[in-house]
Amino acid sequence: MLELKGLTKVFGKEKVAVNHLDLSIEQGEIFGFIGPNGAGKTTTLRMITGIIAPSEGDVTIGGKSIRTDAIEAKQQFTFVPDQSQIYDAIKGIDYLNFIADMYEVSSAERKDRIERYTKLFQIDDALFQTVNSYSHGMRQKLMICGALLPNPKLFILDEPHVGLDPHSNKILKDLMREHCANGGTVLFSSHVLEVVENLCDRVAIIHKGKLIACDTLDNVKRHSSATLEEIFLEMTKDE
Amino acid sequence: MNKLIALTRIQLKDFFSKYTQQMNIKNKWLGKLMILLPIVILLPLIQMIKVIYDSFLMIGKPELVITYIYVGGTLMGFFMAIPLIVSIFFYAKDLSLIATLPVKKDTIVFAKLATVYVYLMGMSALIFGPAVYFYAFGEGLMVMRLIMGLLAMLMLPVFPMIFATLLIMPFMGFVGGKSKRNLMIIIGNVLFIVVIIGFQMVVSRAAMEPSNLMSILAQEDGLMHMLGQSFPPSIWLTKMVRGSLINTLWFLLMNLVFVLLLKFSSNRLYSNALIKYNQQSTQTVKNGKANYSQRSKKTLLIKRHLGIIIHNPTFLLNTVMTMFIPVLLFVIYTATGIMDLETLQNPMLEPYALYIFIGIIVSPSIMGSLSATAITREGGAFWETRALPITARDNISARILTTIILNIVATGALAALTFWILPLNPLDIILALLVSLVAIVLLATLDLFINISRPFIHWTNPTAAVKNNMNIMISLASRILLGGAFYLVYLLIGDLSPQLIVGIYGGIMAGLYVISRQIMYGKFTQKFLEMEF
Repeated sequence: MLELKGLTKVFGKEKVAVNHLDLSIEQGEIFGFIGPNGAGKTTTLRMITGIIAPSEGDVTIGGKSIRTDAIEAKQQFTFVPDQSQIYDAIKGIDYLNFIADMYEVSSAERKDRIERYTKLFQIDDALFQTVNSYSHGMRQKLMICGALLPNPKLFILDEPHVGLDPHSNKILKDLMREHCANGGTVLFSSHVLEVVENLCDRVAIIHKGKLIACDTLDNVKRHSSATLEEIFLEMTKDE
Repeated sequence: MNKLIALTRIQLKDFFSKYTQQMNIKNKWLGKLMILLPIVILLPLIQMIKVIYDSFLMIGKPELVITYIYVGGTLMGFFMAIPLIVSIFFYAKDLSLIATLPVKKDTIVFAKLATVYVYLMGMSALIFGPAVYFYAFGEGLMVMRLIMGLLAMLMLPVFPMIFATLLIMPFMGFVGGKSKRNLMIIIGNVLFIVVIIGFQMVVSRAAMEPSNLMSILAQEDGLMHMLGQSFPPSIWLTKMVRGSLINTLWFLLMNLVFVLLLKFSSNRLYSNALIKYNQQSTQTVKNGKANYSQRSKKTLLIKRHLGIIIHNPTFLLNTVMTMFIPVLLFVIYTATGIMDLETLQNPMLEPYALYIFIGIIVSPSIMGSLSATAITREGGAFWETRALPITARDNISARILTTIILNIVATGALAALTFWILPLNPLDIILALLVSLVAIVLLATLDLFINISRPFIHWTNPTAAVKNNMNIMISLASRILLGGAFYLVYLLIGDLSPQLIVGIYGGIMAGLYVISRQIMYGKFTQKFLEMEF
């Protein structure tokens, strides 16, 4: 579903944020992307989603390159960034309709899905308020609803659990599982190792721009009885 | 096409919803005042255009009012488009969202420019609308003139907007990777404007040479060609409103060519400018020497406010352009020879020299309105000063002092450039500087009343914060009212010497300042503390 080949990002002349990343995510997987602050997780996700261009390498989504077939590649995923960068002088419903227009969601489908997701995340009563009156968590929920609305093949989220209340976190985890059960794929970055441990089929650990582990949880933990947290801390420890 | 419409609609909705929210119509009286504000500013403008129309009508060329206003409107549109383009393309919050959407790059560029177009259209309608009205109705209703005039009005923003986009976006892409990119943006934008104004001035000046003027008046369309020679499409436009089909085609074709040019360069503009600029934001910065010395809270607050202006190119450009445009114009006018320094030293001007000098050096405070956005500029970071252990009084006074510092710099620059040109004695100069200082302090305080009443912190882009902001309109309207009051005072005491009149003005302003200071650090400090955001 998603393939990264030699993905590299260099800022300026010397700051290597992401260093020759090779990664492949299969359809139906829930894939966790973890690493310390500044490891290159967000930069990688921004390259995958076409927000910034890679210095080297390429990203293909469903066989389409984000560089050369950008529209076809983008049609297959939706993205929830770590910060709610969103039009905020419009109503919540206007935002959701805008996303539905962008991904060509039919009127009947958008009605059903908007009603379902906004009810689940308990923001259905706020849809006719302007976004700038929303709390941080409500904006996050609105963006998640928007990203689920087109029923994307690949659902990408950057730190989705930050700012969500426990109820919404549970809903999001259930929806991620449901999405994969229906043939979709989920890629998300997180600092909450417990969530990654309970939810993901495979994890990738990135440190200083390099991929230091990428496997199923069982394989990552195969030689020890340690928790993912202990393994993560050991792997990302600076000498 | 549907995606273009959806993207354009959301941009316009967000942009104009911000405007509606800025209107603050929850407050009944302020809401009513808002409606009257554009009229206060528009009335003198309509009067001026009427005078221009009457002048051209007298020589039997009423259509030249269209040429004249079109050239001015194009220049104005260009100036207004630059900060708006920089702001909505490079500093808007929606870039990360839009970049991930399955839409073509040219769709993004056109949808974003739709906001610029509507804004420029609204602004240019303020000056072009009355010109079209006088031209179409001045000698009884002429339907053809009205239709062509309206068509010209609709087309007016196209050229300056696209021209500015084609200039600014590659430039932003170029400076994006540089370490001093903010400074380069300001210098580059100012240079663009200096070149455009300079070119305009040189061409106009050449046309105004006595020998040229004679031949201009002798020719059938000489005057039209003179007005339009710095911008030939205005000649096609003038002939178009006269009813020439071929010139209508030329004019429409010119606009179409620019639209197509933009369409074909959109992909490059998007990839080489927008994406490149945004991805260069993480710079490798070498560690400097840390300064651990303790500093006063007030100094740090002023540094913070200066930093907010200096580190945001849109804020800096807006400050430079509004406060230093008189300095720029002065330099361009003298460098291109438009302003004859000997004329200013003419003894006939001597009784008015003091007024002219004060008018020039106070202009940055009049145009700047910096305090009217002193809170707004902080945007989402405003909460910081509310959470820090500082008094509301220090918080307020730091904002006023920041405005005063910037205005004193601009006033000082203008005073240094102009004091030796006008026939002034040292006492006149000292008096003018003192009165200007009082005016700076008074206006900096008065403007903050506006911002405390209308904080407007949640803005989409920096231009919305500092330019497309009703606070600025209120501030400018307050200048007009203050100017009107001073004119009334002048009518009462006009027989006195200029020095005495200026002294009385200074006294009035000092009195007003004492009163406004009392209110600011009393009732408005409480209001500042209770401000919701």
